[in-house]
Amino acid sequence: MLKDLVNPSSFNVLIGKLEDAIVKAVDKPLGYAINWGRLWSLWPVHLETACCSLEFGAASGPRYDVERFGIIEAFGSLRQCDLVVVQGTVTRKMAPRLRMVYDQMPDPKYVIAMGACAITGGLYFDSYNVLPGIDGIIPVDVYVPGCPPRPETLIQGCMLLQEKIKRARLN
Amino acid sequence: MGKSTEELYSEAEKKLRQEHGRAVKQIREELKTTKQKADSSLHLKKGSKRDLTDFPKDMQVEESEEGRILTINVGPQHPGSGHFRLVVQVDGDIIVGVDPDPGYVHRGEEKMCEYRNWIQNIPHLERPMIADSCGILYPFCLACEEIANIEVPQRAKYIRVIMSEINKCIFELYWLGIYGIFLGHSTMFMWPMGDRELLIDLAEMATGARVTHAYFVPGGVRNDLPDSFKDRAIRQLDYFKHRLDQYKDIFYTNPLFLDRTEGVGILSANDAINLGVTGPVLRASGVEHDIRKVEPYDVYDQLDFQVHTMKTGDTYARAYIPYLEMYESINIIKQCLEKIPIGPVRTKLGPNPRGPAGESFKRVEAGRGEVAYYVVSDGTPKPYRVKISPPSFRQIPAMSRLLKGARLADMPAIYWSLNYWPVEADR
Repeated sequence: MLKDLVNPSSFNVLIGKLEDAIVKAVDKPLGYAINWGRLWSLWPVHLETACCSLEFGAASGPRYDVERFGIIEAFGSLRQCDLVVVQGTVTRKMAPRLRMVYDQMPDPKYVIAMGACAITGGLYFDSYNVLPGIDGIIPVDVYVPGCPPRPETLIQGCMLLQEKIKRARLN
Repeated sequence: MGKSTEELYSEAEKKLRQEHGRAVKQIREELKTTKQKADSSLHLKKGSKRDLTDFPKDMQVEESEEGRILTINVGPQHPGSGHFRLVVQVDGDIIVGVDPDPGYVHRGEEKMCEYRNWIQNIPHLERPMIADSCGILYPFCLACEEIANIEVPQRAKYIRVIMSEINKCIFELYWLGIYGIFLGHSTMFMWPMGDRELLIDLAEMATGARVTHAYFVPGGVRNDLPDSFKDRAIRQLDYFKHRLDQYKDIFYTNPLFLDRTEGVGILSANDAINLGVTGPVLRASGVEHDIRKVEPYDVYDQLDFQVHTMKTGDTYARAYIPYLEMYESINIIKQCLEKIPIGPVRTKLGPNPRGPAGESFKRVEAGRGEVAYYVVSDGTPKPYRVKISPPSFRQIPAMSRLLKGARLADMPAIYWSLNYWPVEADR
């Protein structure tokens, strides 16, 4: 039996099965630790696309203090970031740039669509230059409705994202 | 006779390969469809290779007679700029050429006005500048009132002045907070952001919304102030004045701040007038021009306040004028709370208000400078044309003038002192 499995034609199958077994064995003890590390250090990109950036600024301020949840606005490189908060309307000129920012970030990366404009186009549903939602450009994890959302709503969106990361499995 | 083991294995391998091939094909198709979806939502040409990665050459070294000139692309994703791009050419660390590239937030506000009626236009017209939502809505209401010949109650006029001054403070504190973090002064981000929340509470008490109030309507304001507004406003403004005194100690007399701003980016009074800048930028260059004094609207002619100017015209002056204006705003709000009469706050209009055919040009002094609206009506319930002239758009020529010859490290200080807001400038 073992001789058959070590046969070069079925070697890949063996490796695949071994990998599955290792992931299953590691998932419970290590996966928890890895997810814990990810969810308490979500660093958003400093990418403002429209007016919701004002409420994002207020959320980083002392009253709402989104840093309690490990969310620090990274003023450094995109390579350090793992969260894009799309702050409002995305226009045709901004859309390729948004995609480029997303592509430059390392995995794992998450996206929060903040405000009605980022979800469906919002107030600008009939404008000639505004995209009807960003989900055609980048995959969205959490939608935060509002125009603009209050900082509390944004914080709740971040907490939902943390729940999502907590339940994620390694693979 | 059963098959030999080798045959069995080769069959299994074949099957596996087929499955693998099918899976790969499926994944490729999925990728293709998602890409097409992304392309179609972008309205791009099918099959063009430069669809999602269309980007200018950002780093380029040119050899010229004068030396090596490096082209740097600042924005639209940049800690400093934010939805605005500057293509900067530097020789060493001296900026030799600037090419501002606005338009990342152009949402077509002016066109949208033409297919909404007068009242429906109110919420989306304050979105270009939600940090100062009353300031940008004010001239639209004034213009509508002039076209339709609506008389505004006296109490509504006072409430408008109070709300526009509160919003001016909210805006200036936000601006100051971002200016602080631009120059690496974290305390100056936290303090104004914290004090701003108190004024936002005050505005929320009167209007019901944090930043997008939609409070001004043609004919007055949407609802009356609550009973306890006066007491709370006076208490909070006293506290705010006390905080403003502390800002001077920690920020405006800070040697690091002085080093980075004094004598940097000097704009002479002549240049300021010729380039057409408005507001604090113009007053910092020594030109005494304030729409509240020059062309008083509502009740500003009955109030006692002064217009601050500075002669130097450098970045420090442009950062200091809004600070002085916050004191004036406190002064104006207190005067209004003393003088405000009792009465109705809104002239009732019909369900679908319309005015006679006509046009109106109105301007007010907001936090960043003068906001002007030119509104044309053809007698239908919808405006024929609404032209917005925001102050931010007028600072772009001044920006390229000031940045040329400055050092690259001075760019954030000069950029933000000009009070440029991309959302408002692009409309």
